[in-house]
Amino acid sequence: MIKLLLLIIPILLVSNSCLKCHPKKMDQCKQSNHFTLKNSINITRQTWGIKDSNTTLQTLPQSKNSITKPADLVDDFLRRKCLKCHLNSKTINKTNNLCLSCHNNHKNKLDSYKAKPTQDKCLKCHNNEFIGTDYKGLFPHDFDKAYRSPITKDGYYPNRPYGIDFHHLSSDIHYQKGMSCIDCHKNSKMGKWEDKVNCTSCHSNLSKQNHKNYHNNLSCSSCHSSWNISSYELNVLRDDTPNYKQWKRLQVQEDRYLEKFLKKALKSKKTIEPKMPDYLTNKLKNGIWYSGYKFRRWENFFLVNDEFGKIKIAKPMFQYRISYKDKNGTMILDDQNKIDNNKIEAFLPKVPHTITKKAKSCQMCHNNKIMLDKNLINKNILKGKVLKGTPLSLQQLNKLQSKKYKQERAKNLY
Amino acid sequence: MIYLKLLLTLYFTTHLFSSTSSDTKCIVCHNDISHRIDNSIMNNMHGVLDVLKYQFLETKIIEQTTGINYLRNKPTKDQTLAEDHFSKLCAACHIDQDPTIFNPNYHTPRGGGCTTCHHVDDTKGIDKDHKNITTKIPSSNCLKCHNRSNRIGLSYFGKFESEGYGTPYKNGELTHKIDKNRYYYELPADIHHTSAKLDCIDCHTEKGVMGDGKQHKHMEDSVDISCVDCHDPKFEPIENFGLASMLIALNGNMPYPKEIAITKRKNSPLYQLQKDNNTTKFYRKKDGKDFDMILMSNSPYHKLAIHQRLDCTACHSSWIASCYGCHEVYFKNSKQYDWIKHKKTKGKWIELRSYLRYESPALAIGYNGKIMPTAPGCQVITTIYDKNITNEGFHSFAYAAWDPHTTQKHSRDCIDCHINPQTLGLGAGILDIKDGNITFEPFYNSIKSGLPIDYPIDSLVSKDGQQFQTFSRDKARGFNKYEVIKIVEAYKCILCHDQWDDPIYKDYNKSKTLFYSKKTKCSLKLIK
Repeated sequence: MIKLLLLIIPILLVSNSCLKCHPKKMDQCKQSNHFTLKNSINITRQTWGIKDSNTTLQTLPQSKNSITKPADLVDDFLRRKCLKCHLNSKTINKTNNLCLSCHNNHKNKLDSYKAKPTQDKCLKCHNNEFIGTDYKGLFPHDFDKAYRSPITKDGYYPNRPYGIDFHHLSSDIHYQKGMSCIDCHKNSKMGKWEDKVNCTSCHSNLSKQNHKNYHNNLSCSSCHSSWNISSYELNVLRDDTPNYKQWKRLQVQEDRYLEKFLKKALKSKKTIEPKMPDYLTNKLKNGIWYSGYKFRRWENFFLVNDEFGKIKIAKPMFQYRISYKDKNGTMILDDQNKIDNNKIEAFLPKVPHTITKKAKSCQMCHNNKIMLDKNLINKNILKGKVLKGTPLSLQQLNKLQSKKYKQERAKNLY
Repeated sequence: MIYLKLLLTLYFTTHLFSSTSSDTKCIVCHNDISHRIDNSIMNNMHGVLDVLKYQFLETKIIEQTTGINYLRNKPTKDQTLAEDHFSKLCAACHIDQDPTIFNPNYHTPRGGGCTTCHHVDDTKGIDKDHKNITTKIPSSNCLKCHNRSNRIGLSYFGKFESEGYGTPYKNGELTHKIDKNRYYYELPADIHHTSAKLDCIDCHTEKGVMGDGKQHKHMEDSVDISCVDCHDPKFEPIENFGLASMLIALNGNMPYPKEIAITKRKNSPLYQLQKDNNTTKFYRKKDGKDFDMILMSNSPYHKLAIHQRLDCTACHSSWIASCYGCHEVYFKNSKQYDWIKHKKTKGKWIELRSYLRYESPALAIGYNGKIMPTAPGCQVITTIYDKNITNEGFHSFAYAAWDPHTTQKHSRDCIDCHINPQTLGLGAGILDIKDGNITFEPFYNSIKSGLPIDYPIDSLVSKDGQQFQTFSRDKARGFNKYEVIKIVEAYKCILCHDQWDDPIYKDYNKSKTLFYSKKTKCSLKLIK
């Protein structure tokens, strides 16, 4: 596989007409996370039990054949479930030109504005669970057939632009003002892609009255985001047997291939072999990956420290429960939710793109049920291990209900 | 097909008694009860149909029609939409349903008259003449029907009908099935189940369940019991109740006491709660295990004047099964099984949803005028297909208040009601107080989500007390402007005085007056 990719990439480079004018861009691109996808890949591999995973899309090993533990299965999962989205993936870019995954074609300097990545281009990948569609206020519906609602006025099921229908919640203030992704996420002059965006580089004059010193450690988004997508317990099952009947109501799994496949397989009188593509080789391989959550919410959140000591909102990504049924119907992994006796729970500090002018009200954090562990229903899945950060310390938690907080809060009430 | 039905009929007549045979047999001795059952909602479903017609905007006042009996002879083509919906989706469950119409592979057989509730295995009957008949009705018999609508039968046992994911997968299969297409996940069960394994009949009396002979408008009018009947009981000598002595004898698991508790609503005997000298014991009906009754405490949190309007369920229910958006799709020209006429008739319904929740039950004024947990019930949006889609579709958004049967010993804390927009009935969003005024920014955008309403789907009321969604009960409503302000105002105190035994709550109104006239320590600092 690696050899194959090494072969393909130079061919792409040569055939890429963009490079005539933008000779250095390809090198920059190759350094970017968009190209290597190393963040998502390594986090997933670590969560599934590969310690110190350090690989990229280009060096990702082939799926293993002998499987005894989740770590043996993760590369297959990545290749066939997650990595449908990568630069030049056939699902997002039908051309052979890598650049066109994000940019549009243009002819000369005069029409170079056309080449700017549009929001729609970004959302081709950045939808559903992750940051992107939340910017537009979209929250995915559940999978079951009953959630293909509401029926439109012309009598059809609602559109599913990204494989699933959406609830419309309040959208990001920047979206409401007409800004698109690249207005903040600029291709900076330094040539590094995906520089961290700083709110303060635009919003430098913060009112002192509302932005007190004691909140210095908070990221802007922990107060100024309204809701966030939290999906609890991602159950994944690779089934190598033709067992389709139980998915009749669950054909929509945010996976267009699977949806088409199930539709065909459930109708067909002959047994159709369970096959699903490896999105890196574009070859069909045995077995189907199914997935389902426990539930998803937009109201819940809690705060954690990120790796730089800033407080951010934690997002469950994900609390995996992993199953694998082989060709003979043997369960190699059956609902495994532990690696080395530790529950697979990963919360990541995130920046929900649901920014509002008006910040959260104080009690949403200071009386946050999850953080204070008060009267929690489903306690065991609402909290968990934090990757790329740490949970709030006892000292930090004590501050939530401190005398100082109450004094300060009381001042705002009258 | 006819052959199969014959076989099934044979099966049930020999094993379960068919509807008619059980009733005719039972009626010989229990004629009095049979009359009560005839009038009960569980038999005739009039309460369900009447509310549905109101919900479907077919009536403005809830009248007592005649439910199942009324529809039995009404031709399908003359049925209204609500009546057709009722026949196709609701009418499967009623006491005199014919159990042979159910395919046991897909549906639990229901109905059959007395046996639908009283039937048990051969070994568990009362005596020789009642080999399969018991008065110690197992909850599983109740659950044959009581697992839908407000889902109390599931909630009590800690099951929440889920979004349908069927997770976690075990052995490569979907798990946690309720029935063919329905799944659940576990949430904390009702404390009466977790701590004492009480069955439905341990609380619900025979009068409440089988009716008192009157044809009641609504289920809650039939129900006999309330929390205080046990937790703040009133006792009377057992001699006053012939029925109690008979039922104790029939039960055989509990002693014969001097005094028994009586229900406050219908004055009927709660013979399982007994007082002898100074001990008060509660006996579980299935095996006679005794429990010391935990009496409602006299602590201020129960006696506070400001909380007198709260129903017990308002604080002690930890979650409520809430189903948002009930998208009813009606195909005029297709056919669907009619549970009353027992054949496929014209008109087919499918139901879609928006989303489910269980957290932070909203509160509202319930059917009894007290503050109770509430959830959507129902938010109907119809789409009607003739040959093509027609424009007849209507929408009607309502909430309903009920006891969710998710009781916990610990109540929700003060903050959870006094500054939580979901509890106030405003829906999810950001609730704050700015310059003394309440501000609220909701999350849900109904218009963009394609719904025919201009308020968030989870908003029962606005922050100004505008009632967005209706109730089918006269007294029930969301909080009004005055109440919203009053509840949120209390948060200003609760922020620091967050314990119920704080002296300021002894006479809250007096404390407030002192505060606002700058006569307390904190008011000097806070009031400008």
